[in-house]
Amino acid sequence: MTVANPQQTFPGRIMEVTLPAGEGGRSVSVGGQTALPLLPEGERPNAAAIGIEIRTGDEDLPPSLSHAFGGKGTDPAVLAGNLVEESGAQFLFLSLAGCHPDLGGHAVSRGAGIVRDVLQAVPCPAIVGGCGEEETDALLFPAVAEAAQRPVFLSYADEKNYRLVAGAALAYGHGVVAWSPIDINMAKQANLLLGDIGVPPHRVLIDPLTGGLGYGLEYTYSIVERIRLAGLSGDAALARPILCHLGDSWKAREALDSAEESWGDVIARGRRWEEATAWACLAAGADLLVCRHPDNVRTLRGMVGAPWR
Amino acid sequence: MTEPLFASCIRGARAVLALARDSLSDAIARRGPEGSLAYPGTAYEIPVVFGLTDLEVTTLRGAEPALSLAEGMIRDRPTAENALDAGAATLLCADILEALGHAEGRTYPAPCVGFVPDSVLRKLGIFMVDGSVPGVAVVVGRASDPAVAASMVRDFQEVGLLVFLAGDVVGQVEASGIKMGEDFRTFPLGPLPAVVHAVNFAVRAGLTFGGLGRGQAEPMLSYLATRVKAFVCALGPLDDLSLAIAAGAMKAGFPVLSDQAVPAIPGALLSCPPGEEMVRAGIEARGIKAKIVKVPVPIAFGPSYEGERIRKADTYAEFGGGRTVAYELVTSAPLSEVRDREIRVVGPDIPDLEKGGALPLGLVVTVAGARMQKDFESVLERRIHRIVNFGEGTMHVAQRDTTWIRISDEAVARGFRLADLGTMIHAKMLSDFENIVDRVAVTIHTREEDVRAGLAGARTVYAERDARARTLTDDAVGEFYSCTLCQSFAPNHVCIVTPERLGLCGAINWLDGKAGYEITPTGPNQPVPKGDERDPVKGAWEGVNAFVREHSRNTVPGFNLYSIMEAPMTSCGCFECILALVPEANGFMVVNREYAGAETPCGMGFSTLAGSVGGGVQTPGFMGVGKQYLLSRKFLAAEGGLPRIVWMTKEMKEQLGPALAKRAGEIGMPDLLDKIADETIAVTPERLREYLEKAGHPALSMKPLV
Repeated sequence: MTVANPQQTFPGRIMEVTLPAGEGGRSVSVGGQTALPLLPEGERPNAAAIGIEIRTGDEDLPPSLSHAFGGKGTDPAVLAGNLVEESGAQFLFLSLAGCHPDLGGHAVSRGAGIVRDVLQAVPCPAIVGGCGEEETDALLFPAVAEAAQRPVFLSYADEKNYRLVAGAALAYGHGVVAWSPIDINMAKQANLLLGDIGVPPHRVLIDPLTGGLGYGLEYTYSIVERIRLAGLSGDAALARPILCHLGDSWKAREALDSAEESWGDVIARGRRWEEATAWACLAAGADLLVCRHPDNVRTLRGMVGAPWR
Repeated sequence: MTEPLFASCIRGARAVLALARDSLSDAIARRGPEGSLAYPGTAYEIPVVFGLTDLEVTTLRGAEPALSLAEGMIRDRPTAENALDAGAATLLCADILEALGHAEGRTYPAPCVGFVPDSVLRKLGIFMVDGSVPGVAVVVGRASDPAVAASMVRDFQEVGLLVFLAGDVVGQVEASGIKMGEDFRTFPLGPLPAVVHAVNFAVRAGLTFGGLGRGQAEPMLSYLATRVKAFVCALGPLDDLSLAIAAGAMKAGFPVLSDQAVPAIPGALLSCPPGEEMVRAGIEARGIKAKIVKVPVPIAFGPSYEGERIRKADTYAEFGGGRTVAYELVTSAPLSEVRDREIRVVGPDIPDLEKGGALPLGLVVTVAGARMQKDFESVLERRIHRIVNFGEGTMHVAQRDTTWIRISDEAVARGFRLADLGTMIHAKMLSDFENIVDRVAVTIHTREEDVRAGLAGARTVYAERDARARTLTDDAVGEFYSCTLCQSFAPNHVCIVTPERLGLCGAINWLDGKAGYEITPTGPNQPVPKGDERDPVKGAWEGVNAFVREHSRNTVPGFNLYSIMEAPMTSCGCFECILALVPEANGFMVVNREYAGAETPCGMGFSTLAGSVGGGVQTPGFMGVGKQYLLSRKFLAAEGGLPRIVWMTKEMKEQLGPALAKRAGEIGMPDLLDKIADETIAVTPERLREYLEKAGHPALSMKPLV
């Protein structure tokens, strides 16, 4: 009896995307692979990159994060500098949540100023996220794009604002994170539309919306897999690196609730909730992970090296 | 007739060239050949030279080859081609000439700004990409009436255009008190030759936003012509110089509108009276569409109000719904016949009514667009329902000549008038059908005699449309449309929508698919070429199968459009009703989504059945479909069609009754409907069989299904 070799070869290759660094920093390249993750076959020139998120504004931190951030500073530039250095994050995701009217209502100019300061303090590649409020973001993205003195990625462009974000990116030479709500067709459409406007393909990342463990992670797992399979099968518009932002795992009650004693220590639990979400995303095929907990950055960095490639 | 015009362009180009040469040798004499030549605040040297030639110009000496190149482009024979090339040469020379001035710090007196630096270009460029700056108006020369020039600039500002001014018009507009500057997106450049700063701005837009590099002349000209929606309004008499510059604009694909009697060159040079008409002509020549950010009506407007009902007690005014005669109609017309934003109310308006009053209504929407098709009229017309329901305090029911609109007390108290209805429709038609509709005009008639007269015409249109719909058959068209909207939850499901088989959700027919594709070419509705026919009875085509394979990502090899037993179409989960095999009766039962009972002859209610039908799988014998598909000539054609239906819920019988009876008549079985059982007759296969035998249902004598 002969057993057929199940090794699969795909006609496509995921586009390699480089997130440029500032002076003294190391740029990060992701993508470029010809196979699914966790398998021995195919080429995989780049390991998944692990980044850390810093958020501005008046949000209550989950207990686990407030524990981890203790004494590391409150000023975004200081905090970012400390966390990136300690955790070994390969890139920084700076969310300007503080510009949201409910989370501080920072003026757009203040948001842009923070971007300038943080980029000076931290030389690693950066992705800058808006505040999620449509009208504010419409002013914020152009201001951020102008303020950023080196190329960053703007996050994110969706069905409504992609023209504006693409324009801001083109004007100052930045990249774009294209967001879609767990929908492969919209992920594809977003990339086609961005290409139509003129954003070069090697400056686009896919954010397929990442649900936290227990809160939609399985949908994300499935969509990441399908986007990757489509890309490897030759669909150029989907053959792009995928970014999974683990922020939603910090919205789970299980990650936050300290009242439920039988669930164990909330400090450890919160961190583990994000970590578990992260492993699933890596297994599905994510190329970039955005963590909030510095220990998770370290743990994941240690693991993505060998076996996960 | 055009020859003297071309000759004039060429003379103008020579004059500018001579001027540039003189200035350059002058500068070299003073600063030496290595003296620097650059605009302040740009990464693109002399932008027009950078964008259109591969010459690198950073010094005075470096400008010489560029001027020689320009000289070579000026040829004496007065032809259109030579005039355009002379125009391009003029732009090269003018950009160098202006750069010479800027490099030596010769600026224009305020308010003129001269060269617009890259930093401003980047900021404004974002809004050009975004569409909130929908185009660029360049106004040059001297208006015979300064007030007219001022009103034109004001109109441009209102639409959100970027405005450049050059020549005496700058002073005229300034004197009128119109605000200018970056905040108002209006740039007074300087005297006439400074108009080249509008051109170098556009060229730099191509370099920054179009991904173009040095010297890519052809792609640059094409970018300028298609992406930068600019046009030139030339006011006052045209001398050689202004004509040479105009020729340059035309070379860049910017149409020039002149208020003088110039010979027309279609798409490039138009003669047009200044003022409102020129504004409109320029905007239309470039197909510029203003982005409507907020619909200007006194009530809140958006999808959140869609489900709102207005009760009789809260109604201030009512139209149609049996109380008065009313109709609504969308028709298309050539672009030249529709004036965008024209909203007319003919007859009494809401304030003329007492509370609870009613008026007749003739709601006539005329649309125009380069890609509009007559077939889309009905698609747009059905959208009126949603648009009116979007208003807080406006309610719409039914369609065509059964339409019924209510306006609430609260809306009227806030100042809602019939014209606002038109404003809502205008704004949403333009934004929802952006790619196919360029202009929308709305006329609202409320006089009984006008409405009656209009209604007669409308009924003719409805009848024509129905007749057209009858000729639209699967055999008559070359392509079907896909719908992959539901792949977000049924990842491998592909709907193929044909003229005779609408989407299983009942919401998308073939025309909707066609319009959907025109509106969003990258969206879920894609044309599916039928390709080679494999089986006309079962409904199998090579093209359909190839599409389904690709878009189900190789999980569904293909399907037969008119069969339920052999490779049926997959279902997402949105189906209006489910067809299910009843082997004992040699036919199918059909149960609709609204049917709450669990009792059907196959032993499963709708929700249980739905679990096994949905999710993009092929389950022979079971299929989700749209209700209207039952009336199609292609309904289960492979299995024998409508006579296979043995059981149907009472509700569906009532809903589809007359249409079903008609269809049964067409196939020579006028009493078929009476032979079909429902839940009041039988809910077990045994009882069903008994009834069918008694009634003499045709399915029993048809070919065995299993």
